[in-house]
Amino acid sequence: MPRIARPVDRSGVALTVALLALAVLWLSPIAWVVVTSLKPAPDIIRLPPEWIPWPPTGAHYHEVLLGSSRTARIGRAFANSLVVALGSVVLVLATSAMAAYPLARMRFPGRNLVFVLLVGSLMIPNAVLLVPQYVLTQRLGWLSTYQGLIVPEAALLFAFGVFLLRQFFVTMPRELEDAARIDGAGPWQVFSRIIIPLSQPVLAALAIFAFRSAWNDFLWPLIAVNKPEMFPLPVALALLRSAYSAESYGPIMAGAALSALPLLVVFVVANRRIVEGVRLSGLKG
Amino acid sequence: MSRQTRVAYAFLAPGLLLFAVYRLYPLLEGLRLSFTNARLGRASEQWIGLANYTRLLEDGRFHVSLWNTAFYTVASTLPILAVPLALALALNRGRLRTLLRSVFFFPFTLSVVTVGLAWLWLLDPVVGPFNYYLRGLGVPARSWLADPQTAMWTIILTTVWWVTGYYLVIYLAGLQDIPRDLYEAAALDGASAWRSFWTITLPLLRPVLLFVVVTHVIGSFQLFGQVFVLTGGGPGDATRTVVQHLYEAAFQNFFQFGAASAMAWVLFAVILVFSMLQFRLLRGHTEY
Repeated sequence: MPRIARPVDRSGVALTVALLALAVLWLSPIAWVVVTSLKPAPDIIRLPPEWIPWPPTGAHYHEVLLGSSRTARIGRAFANSLVVALGSVVLVLATSAMAAYPLARMRFPGRNLVFVLLVGSLMIPNAVLLVPQYVLTQRLGWLSTYQGLIVPEAALLFAFGVFLLRQFFVTMPRELEDAARIDGAGPWQVFSRIIIPLSQPVLAALAIFAFRSAWNDFLWPLIAVNKPEMFPLPVALALLRSAYSAESYGPIMAGAALSALPLLVVFVVANRRIVEGVRLSGLKG
Repeated sequence: MSRQTRVAYAFLAPGLLLFAVYRLYPLLEGLRLSFTNARLGRASEQWIGLANYTRLLEDGRFHVSLWNTAFYTVASTLPILAVPLALALALNRGRLRTLLRSVFFFPFTLSVVTVGLAWLWLLDPVVGPFNYYLRGLGVPARSWLADPQTAMWTIILTTVWWVTGYYLVIYLAGLQDIPRDLYEAAALDGASAWRSFWTITLPLLRPVLLFVVVTHVIGSFQLFGQVFVLTGGGPGDATRTVVQHLYEAAFQNFFQFGAASAMAWVLFAVILVFSMLQFRLLRGHTEY
């Protein structure tokens, strides 16, 4: 069928231009953080605002990363956050993949109960568990330790991970498993050699989700850590603010920019995975 | 027990252990604590019945924080529903969708502290660029965060900026699930874009809207980080929230674990009631 040639979509172009302008505005707070972090101290509070930090200086980064005089050392906090975030990613992936497998592909008594329990727990507000979680962590002797941050973080995301992975495991064709079983593979081999390798996209999405959640968590580490050398980044940053006088925006913004860096890298490298993860979290939730 | 059952529970065991210890047990332990006078360091706590709850009835600051939290939740719901939806509709029509989606999503990758620090600096009453440009538009400079009239609205603004990208992605996915031919049929019948939006897009998006509202409400009732960084609950108690009140009761003043647990369960009850209401309001069948 011949198609009628469409006139140039003028309103579409105008819309895109307007959206681009809004996008620039949307990013300006982040740009301002980076710009500030690169300015020499006297230039920072100059008005009108200067959006090009020229000549740029690395002094603020040097100070927050290596300066030892301040209570909050961002360099150390950065490393702490990395350990905690990666630790909880590994723990969440391992536990929720293992749990999702039988829930998706086996029949056994109690299966529905377990699943309902896990999904129901997604409705529990995190703040409600704060005090008892603290009491528990204290009894375990885990305050101000990595495991005291990693384990609760993983527990928080476990149910969501099971839910996400189960959705995916259910859709895999049964023939794959049957073929492996005829060749004599046990459940563990089926799980580790077939299910897991075929689930890499969804595992990556969950990993990013868990990393973001652990990297950015603030309230729990604020409570569970009271040794400055164990602070993760958000806590160290919040305290960095009170350590400097209000006018010293340079070091604070350098810390803020550093805290955004790992997820920016992940975001640029794996943009589609992130979006996919969010989409799955929303529509199936 | 059959072999398959044993295998299944062997796979489930590590996760269920984690879940039982750090989710289920704290939930019940919190409920128990709320009926005791537990404190940090107190060796033996006593059962005091409903005393923690009745004391909350007289705790004026708790009422203020409950009110502030509810105000924040209600006032932010409409922008959180509408801003990402408007963006999603625009992105769906225009070009450069992937690029723009990434831009709007980016703030969501930041921690609440980073967001708070950035806005604290932007909104600085004397040297911040926000006030500088507003002055250029004829709006007098003010300390948005130090004025009880504007402090909570400023927190809402920063939150909308922070989370819009997340809901945008969810809306975009929802929009893509709506069959194209519905719009084509409507266009053939002479329906305007506006009419199509009200009769096709909005009704078919209802499950997504429900998800967004419920997620947002559960999150809003736990508002803490933004307030902690931006205002500390001030000016006065104008932005004090329930979780902040709870945090201070449990971890700053007197370490009253029993009283804080009672607050937590009141909060839990309020969240449940709100969520149920929303399920009622927005539930319904989606027919294609």
